[in-house]
Amino acid sequence: MTYLLGWSVIPQILVRRERWPGGYKTKGVPLVFPGQDVLPDQPVIRLEKAEAIEAVATIPRLSLPAVMDVPATANYDLGNTQAKVPQRGGETLPAGLRGRVVDITRRGGVVIESNAAVLQGVLGTGNQVAGVLTMWQVSDAGEGQLAVPPGAILVVPGPLNFMTLRQAIISGVVGVIASSISSRDLEGFLRTDLVELIDCIDVDVAQVHLPSMTILLTEGLGTTAMPARTINLLRRYQGSIALLSGATSIRQGIFPELVISLPEAEVQQHWQPVRPDPTLAIGAQVRICSGSYEGAIGMVDYLYLHQQVFLSGVRARAARLRLEDGSLVTVPLMLVERIS
Amino acid sequence: MNTQPYAEGGRGPIGSSNPSSASSLLVADCGTVFTKVSLFGLVEGQYRLMARGEAPTTIAPPYEDITKGIIQAINVIEFITGRNFISNGRILSPEQPNGDGVDLFISTISAGGPLRLVVLGAVDATLEEFARQAVSGLYAEINSLPSPSFIATSTPSIPVPVGAGSMSPSTGSTGGPWTQERVALEWERQIERMRELQPHAALIVGMANGPSGPTPLQEACQLLVSATKELNEQYGASVSAGAAVHDVASHQIAVLYAGAPQYIEAVRGMLQGTADVTRVESLVSQAQIGPTSIAAGGLYERDVMQHIPGYPSLRAWSSSAPAATTTSLSSLVRFLAQHYTMNVTAVDIGGATTTLMLAGEGGEFIPMVNSGIGIGSSVGAVLKEVGIQRVARWLPFDVTEDELRQYVLNHMLHPHVVPTSQRELQFSQAFAREALILTVEAAKRNNFECIDADLILATGGILAHAPKLGQAALILLDALQPRGVTSLVLDRTMLISQLGAVATVAPVAAVQVNENDAVTHRLGTCVIPFGEIPKGELAVSVGIEYTNGRQLMVDVTGGSIEVVPLRTNEQALLSLFPAPGVDVGLGPGERARAAEEIDGGLIGLIIDARGRPLELPTDEKERQARLLQWMQAIGA
Repeated sequence: MTYLLGWSVIPQILVRRERWPGGYKTKGVPLVFPGQDVLPDQPVIRLEKAEAIEAVATIPRLSLPAVMDVPATANYDLGNTQAKVPQRGGETLPAGLRGRVVDITRRGGVVIESNAAVLQGVLGTGNQVAGVLTMWQVSDAGEGQLAVPPGAILVVPGPLNFMTLRQAIISGVVGVIASSISSRDLEGFLRTDLVELIDCIDVDVAQVHLPSMTILLTEGLGTTAMPARTINLLRRYQGSIALLSGATSIRQGIFPELVISLPEAEVQQHWQPVRPDPTLAIGAQVRICSGSYEGAIGMVDYLYLHQQVFLSGVRARAARLRLEDGSLVTVPLMLVERIS
Repeated sequence: MNTQPYAEGGRGPIGSSNPSSASSLLVADCGTVFTKVSLFGLVEGQYRLMARGEAPTTIAPPYEDITKGIIQAINVIEFITGRNFISNGRILSPEQPNGDGVDLFISTISAGGPLRLVVLGAVDATLEEFARQAVSGLYAEINSLPSPSFIATSTPSIPVPVGAGSMSPSTGSTGGPWTQERVALEWERQIERMRELQPHAALIVGMANGPSGPTPLQEACQLLVSATKELNEQYGASVSAGAAVHDVASHQIAVLYAGAPQYIEAVRGMLQGTADVTRVESLVSQAQIGPTSIAAGGLYERDVMQHIPGYPSLRAWSSSAPAATTTSLSSLVRFLAQHYTMNVTAVDIGGATTTLMLAGEGGEFIPMVNSGIGIGSSVGAVLKEVGIQRVARWLPFDVTEDELRQYVLNHMLHPHVVPTSQRELQFSQAFAREALILTVEAAKRNNFECIDADLILATGGILAHAPKLGQAALILLDALQPRGVTSLVLDRTMLISQLGAVATVAPVAAVQVNENDAVTHRLGTCVIPFGEIPKGELAVSVGIEYTNGRQLMVDVTGGSIEVVPLRTNEQALLSLFPAPGVDVGLGPGERARAAEEIDGGLIGLIIDARGRPLELPTDEKERQARLLQWMQAIGA
């Protein structure tokens, strides 16, 4: 589910996210401290694993040189965030976000506050990863070959299929963002039962045996295209480092999301946090999330005063929408998600 | 129903007024998917339902505040009535001279998920059953993890019989002797299982009088200490600004201790302060189920309800503490059974929970709250439990596995959507049947003896919003499979679940709204012969004598449904002439003549001669044809 009644794209919002790679046997040693400013490519955690965990160990991510143990009482120079990081071999995790460290969790996760754009997915899988947003392009090598650098987050501005996923994981991308995929293709790729996966209580346990590539689907299952608004956002931040999480748990209310820290100049010049307003009003841009018009984008043209009867015989409060192709359709309010 | 104004010291809304003189009430029911708010008011001296509003429940991001959904639903009522009820984000109270505001605000909650409870210690089949019965009336999911030493001593070389659903087939079922390695393996599996379950609470049972002595109690404590440590490391509060770990609030698993009383202090000691221990009567027989149930109910309120985002605001608005919807429903069902001296079965099919309650005229009460089985976000659990075939058997058309799975996944991800096509509607109603069947089966597994209901009272979105009343009736007949003579009543207002809570503050309003609005959709009286019903041959002849003197005789063949016209407010005397071997409640072949007139309903007099248990034809085409025939007969 996207946020109830929509707002799957929030262009400017202040978020707090724990940087944590997933895996219940993973321990993190924070390399930063509360109050410290961090950059997206700055290492913030060094991983320590009690036991090797397949899902965590095999994720290709922006690995940076590790550091020596950082004493908890060390005196830090707030103005020089990276200077005192000694070099040593091993895996570290970059922040993925630009912002300020506000907390360190018991497991060693680093909570970062950031001015960011947020894209909420309907369905996803996989642990949190950071990578460079890269738009999908067919390479010169020919059709079906993906030209993406390893460690990137690949954006496919349309539906996915099994083969694309296979190629993406072979190419070494850490994550894929796409509009939709058939349940059969996704289950085939994950080799798991999707119903069980999204009904899990513990997302860390559920993710362990999945392929080591995070997936976010903006529209969910099926063949729905990606809305222009979403594509525009992703294009705009192409080349930026972003934080992608694919974990989905209906029971825990956890949904996939992409968080992209806004460039500093943008924050200074145009910072205007957007507060999602769920109210459906005439003129609001909406998306239809189920039924025969599933995935269609439109504008609320009229809100019916009385319940309308639909083909199923069900009576429901309804709205008349003007779709992008200019046609008018009447749909139940419960099928309408406000997207801006 | 008891009158308990401002129970539990609850604060009333702004400028709260005397409940007994309340002339208007707002009642909110916060479900997993939708929040429904109803406005009750006085009309010619009687409390009536004035308006209803519905909005998605808002406990998930980005809102994370249950009151936002309530306000949205109240906004709908404001739009309908032209009155204002919200002022500065709070309920305006008492009612103003211009009609704005309300005198009382009451709420019930089923959102927030169930209490996840693990039963630890010396858990044998009997104690597991008692534990299940103790939480059967609560939003709770229960899993048993008998201690490794108890399993080893009680089942030396056979598969583990207890908690089969929660057992990994790789351990308990491996058979063979219980070696040290195998016990160690079981221990590891249990820690893993605790991690998966993330329980809110644990119930420790066992009297330490078995071959393993008090060791199971000790192992239960060890498991809890290990699980708590791990949960804290993984999900515990943060250690910010240099605060030492021991100074940071820790996650705790609440413990109900119902084991051997002499070990209570030892258990407290072994838990080393990692768990908050509440002692309840040792669970050894049916007699202790009540105290355990009350204690578990308290944990649900404390560890689940009170953690719902926005709960403090909701509590501050309310005239009494928000009640669990199931608690409210049980109050009403028991009241109805006693007030009308009849056996009442109540059904509530929700998005995440399916509830079945049976209250007998003699005071018997059987609650079965099947948490995690529903037709919204929990529809996946229904599919997992029963499989595609059992769902598809209720569909009068061909369907592929892919299509049904796609429906399930989309419905889990978008539980608030309403079906817009006939096909989607049929899918949702098929899942509703299976959710209810699973709940009946769960009640039977708990050794609850089913009571033949005089009245079946049904609610929940799928039934209340059914486009045709016959669809709701057929779902109930297919899933509950009642026998004899019963009445079906549909609560289309979805109010019955809240009236028990209303009654604690405003009993008169609860009774009057119940009679005036909630149970007004009487679908009709049902005659359901059972026994040896011959398919395609006469099963029962039904004689109807209307109050205007008109007489009618209807022959009903085995395997069919007939509806005889008998409208609302019409009565008739009923005579039943079953075929040999067919039972209408008085024994095989015994004729029956009702001493009192039966009431009509919106559908009429329904005679369901399909037989019990209901068997669907195995041939696909025949099954589909039969389903269509039944749907047509009942007007579905």
